[in-house]
Amino acid sequence: MGADIRIVRSGGYVVHLDICEELSMECVGRAHRLYYAALQELSGLVDEVVLGVTSLALYYDPRRVRASELVTSIKRVWSWAREADLNELHRPRRFTVPVVYGDEYGPDLSSVAKWAGLSEKEVVRIHSSRVYTCITLGFTPGFIYLGEVDPRIAAPRLETPRVRIPRGSVGIAGRMTGVYGLESPGGWRLIGRTPLTMFDPRRSPPIPIAPGDEVLFKPVEPEEFSRLSGVFVGEYSS
Amino acid sequence: MSTAPRLQVVYVAGFATVQDLGRRGYRILGVPVSGALDRLSAAYANALVGNPSSYAVVEVFGSVKLRPTVDAVVAITGGYPRVFVGDVEVAPWAPFYCRAGSEVSVVPTGRGYAHYVAISGGVLCEEVLGSVSTYVRGGFGCLGRALRPGDELGLRAVGADEVWDRVRRVKPPGEVVARSADPGDPAVLRATEGIHAHLLGDLSTLLTSEYTVTPESDRMGYRLDGPPLATAFKLGRLPSTPTDRGYVQVPPDGRPIVLMADAQTTGGYAVALHVVQPDTDILAQLRPGRRVRFKLVSLEEAEEITSKYLAELENPTLALAEEEEYWT
Repeated sequence: MGADIRIVRSGGYVVHLDICEELSMECVGRAHRLYYAALQELSGLVDEVVLGVTSLALYYDPRRVRASELVTSIKRVWSWAREADLNELHRPRRFTVPVVYGDEYGPDLSSVAKWAGLSEKEVVRIHSSRVYTCITLGFTPGFIYLGEVDPRIAAPRLETPRVRIPRGSVGIAGRMTGVYGLESPGGWRLIGRTPLTMFDPRRSPPIPIAPGDEVLFKPVEPEEFSRLSGVFVGEYSS
Repeated sequence: MSTAPRLQVVYVAGFATVQDLGRRGYRILGVPVSGALDRLSAAYANALVGNPSSYAVVEVFGSVKLRPTVDAVVAITGGYPRVFVGDVEVAPWAPFYCRAGSEVSVVPTGRGYAHYVAISGGVLCEEVLGSVSTYVRGGFGCLGRALRPGDELGLRAVGADEVWDRVRRVKPPGEVVARSADPGDPAVLRATEGIHAHLLGDLSTLLTSEYTVTPESDRMGYRLDGPPLATAFKLGRLPSTPTDRGYVQVPPDGRPIVLMADAQTTGGYAVALHVVQPDTDILAQLRPGRRVRFKLVSLEEAEEITSKYLAELENPTLALAEEEEYWT
């Protein structure tokens, strides 16, 4: 091992692992195996494990363990986790997220349709007709990175990011789609918005969606927006 | 009428929030660590008033006037501001006794940038995900926003006289004060190579140039101006990786950004260097216009530096002040 993942030590308290250089769902699956295996086996050695799109970071306390020892443990975990059944490490749950597409809810739906050479209706149909895998959460609280978007609608992010994006906005950036958990700046192309509360810091957990879980978008009419507004994502059933 | 001890916010010019040492364990949900920008100053402020390091303090960029409604022991650290109780000037980096209803003022001097106000018993405020640290962008932690005149915060009830007897003669090590009040010009930030050093190749521009802190700096990150790192021009955006405080991101314009306490938990820009944690505290004290340079250290040195820093954060080392250095 070592040839297939890149291990970098950083700052005196981080071991960073690059699983691969380019996004693919195969790579994401490998990252998830290592993430859940590390949570299971290394939680006594590390303070926190954080997952990127194709990478992981393990934060450790150098008073308790040194990177050299931690790297040996990571290699041991990876030697079995790489072949492990991901379903046994984490049984995925499925979440349905209602979305109002287009107009003021998704101001970039028209530009995605134009990019794709398709009608807006067709873009919505394609976006909402597959089950996505949660790649990770990050960037801002409760932002979920989902993959993989149909290549026909995989429009690139905006040249100039927006300063303010309403919470619940659903965006596309290349082969990823995602939901903004809180109001934030951002550069993804916004095609719709969910009325659900995706992130509530006063709940435990604040968002129930975990890496490896499945998310399905369900188009709903604008009239539904206020009716569903504020329903917590973990408590919505279609 | 309630007689619970409170801390009244009388005046704010600048930006003041309640912070502790941060929110740990939720980065996997995209929740930044937050917490004091100069954690060592926050820990020493607490130690000087007899509190554990983890208690909530008020972080101030600019001026603030606060009024405890009970007798309290107060200490101001971070940089070297002027401090007044009513109209009597007292020293920063030393505990002082504040009578109920007296106003404590913090006035910046140009030495340092982030000031910390600790009060015996500590500030009581809404705890979210294990911390009261205010994360303004997310709107949660304590009041979920910057402090405004008229705000009232809770205070944990402690006997001020008993605390005063314990702390009246303590003082922090001189190098802790100097680190924050006189960080050098340029300030030297020790760093290891970052996680994308291999993609950026030659880092010598970063390691041999001086950079200036720009006015676009905030609790998320300190943006630096200076010679751009040319190897970043062609890199563009990478798949988002976990990031942390101290990561020196280099966007395609080649100008470094040092991530700080409220930084996003994942990022897509190349990371050239990783500033060691105690030196991010030093950076916090540099106002726009101040200069820095980076100094490469080995991973083993960085582990030693981090170990010593974490131990000091948990247990700040106080000495007994000499008689003539009393301030009351």
